[in-house]
Amino acid sequence: MILPFVWMISTSFKSQSEVFAYPPQWIPTEFHWQNYVQAWNAAPFPRYFFNSVVVALAVTFGDLFTSALAAYAFARMKFPGRDAIFLIYLSSLMIPHQMTILPSFLLLKNLGDLWAPLGLDTYFALIAPFLASAFGVFLLRQSFMQIPNELEDAAILDGCGRARFLWEIVIPLSRPALATLALFTFMGNWNSYLWPLIVTNSDTLRTVQIGLRYFIGQEGASQWGLLMAAAVFVSLPVVLIYLIVQRQFVQGIASTGIKQ
Amino acid sequence: MTARKILLISLLVMITLAACATPTAEAPKATVAPTTAPAAPATSAPTAVAATPAPAPKTKITFWYALSGAQGKVIEDMVTKYNQTSKTAQVEVIFQGSYADIAQKLTAAITAKTVPDVAQMGGAPTLGESGAIVPVADLVSDADKKDIFDGFWDYNKFNGKVVSMPFNNSTPMLYYNKDLFIAAGLDPNKPPTNWDELVTAAKALTKDTNGDGKPDQWGFNTHTDTHWYLSAMIMQNGGKILSDDGKKVIYNSPEGIEALQFWGDLVTKNKVMPPNQHAQAGADFTAGKLGMLMRSSTFLATVEKDAKFKVGVAILPGKKIKSVPIGGASLLVFKTTAERQKAAWEFVQWMTNADNSLDLFIQTNYVPIRKSVAGLPAVKDFIAKSPNSEVLIKQLEFASAIPIFFELGNSDEQLRKAVEKVELGSGTAKDALDVAASVINKALGGP
Repeated sequence: MILPFVWMISTSFKSQSEVFAYPPQWIPTEFHWQNYVQAWNAAPFPRYFFNSVVVALAVTFGDLFTSALAAYAFARMKFPGRDAIFLIYLSSLMIPHQMTILPSFLLLKNLGDLWAPLGLDTYFALIAPFLASAFGVFLLRQSFMQIPNELEDAAILDGCGRARFLWEIVIPLSRPALATLALFTFMGNWNSYLWPLIVTNSDTLRTVQIGLRYFIGQEGASQWGLLMAAAVFVSLPVVLIYLIVQRQFVQGIASTGIKQ
Repeated sequence: MTARKILLISLLVMITLAACATPTAEAPKATVAPTTAPAAPATSAPTAVAATPAPAPKTKITFWYALSGAQGKVIEDMVTKYNQTSKTAQVEVIFQGSYADIAQKLTAAITAKTVPDVAQMGGAPTLGESGAIVPVADLVSDADKKDIFDGFWDYNKFNGKVVSMPFNNSTPMLYYNKDLFIAAGLDPNKPPTNWDELVTAAKALTKDTNGDGKPDQWGFNTHTDTHWYLSAMIMQNGGKILSDDGKKVIYNSPEGIEALQFWGDLVTKNKVMPPNQHAQAGADFTAGKLGMLMRSSTFLATVEKDAKFKVGVAILPGKKIKSVPIGGASLLVFKTTAERQKAAWEFVQWMTNADNSLDLFIQTNYVPIRKSVAGLPAVKDFIAKSPNSEVLIKQLEFASAIPIFFELGNSDEQLRKAVEKVELGSGTAKDALDVAASVINKALGGP
């Protein structure tokens, strides 16, 4: 499973002709450190990193916030039509991503005509469409449903309101699910290529994935060594975040479905 | 916990570093945002004293392109040069991903009315119906009409009218290993010129060097875009891809079936091509394990650099005729304002004039589109340095166009599937092409 990563790192040090050498060479004959330097300079990566980090973090926190609130409502509050609405929410997961690109694009263009900071080619365009997700609501609802009702009864007896119950009891108990959602959202947004490409034109707003595109040539002229070097430093933040939340993440996978 | 703290701190440090780096990152890099590059000071702060009248403001136009890596740099350098020499226009050049990405962006932009002034696109004629472009036929001069090869004009037609301007085009070529030719007793200066000679040469080049009963050196193979080479063979045999009225595909004609049968025989009967190993073909050729390879002309620079043997290149072998299909992208001019359209067309004319066409050819091996290029003095110097590139110029009289229609992408996919079927022996050539044609014709809305 670690093999693709090893190959990526190995190829990042190779010269172009060595990349496709057969039989495959795991250890390059010469270490071309300059691949990293060249890759870094090929596109404005510092700015791209800044944008990717800002957008991914904003989306992750926004998604956690909205999903937690919605999941709490669906899991622990009773209101007419609750289950029907949840099913509709869930069915939105079946809409292919490609079908929503054009309507979202048009919506942003029209918003931009009303007030520029809300239009195309802005941070709003990169962040806003992803601040809520049906997947997040689904994941957290499952986790919130595990909280025993006795806890809630006890809290109410002690005079705890809903908001406080959510913030001080439910969320700390659901750390694994929250960590999982945070990781998935961050990673999904970090890897997002098509949407940033479509809504931005300015180089000051673009993200690292578009930077990677610079190395993939049309009709086979790709610079593989540089691409792998860039891929290595583009994937570092995601690896970093995973290491931070990994204990919670593993718990999250292991504990779904297990009753306390 | 301390390990996690360290990781958290490093993440924060990373963000801070990236944020601190942004003020310098905003400083214009020559490769991107040329509007802030040297051209800008030339207009806003003339070196002459302020008393001289300010020059007329330049029309600002945007140009979207879809070439990356070294080729993308060539485009950006061309635009920078234009911005420095033009007195009337300022071009903002923006990278928009791959041909597929820019197609999506343009579709979205047309709907939202946020189109650029000029865009580079593969399969450009498909926008002919959108109403958003100015057909090049209305803009081009008669001199240009005659100077550019007919095949390129055909490549840019929609419903019989030229709508886009040829720009960066490539053709498939037959690459061959001259050293292996000599070892097989073939003349390295006489590559095959027709299908029969191709089979003879390939048989001589297919060898089992370690005696295990399986060939280690193959005579012939093609790159993964097999639909391109099959289409070429169909046309070389006198067949056609699309009917003249543009309403259905007709590659399941007897000529087409013959072509696919020939392809399949290379694998199953003559045993000179390994079945379905096209992804490996380029690497095999560069490593000296493949005698002949069909691949795009854009591969020439790479293979000449990486191969440790003498590389030869030839025009595709013909059958009833020689036919070399064109690939690549074109430039589109969009409907905006009269002033910007004029500036856009001037820019397009400059990008595709003889000098720049030659420059593009020298730097990227995209073929020159004009007959006049062959007569330019710089061409002789270039050919002296890189003799194989002469073939790229010589073949242009045989250049033909596979007509561009809405289902072309799917049609190419169907042709690749047909090739795969025939190579693996899971279908006859006739069945494979009949299936492909019926799928596409149904999508085109016909029988």
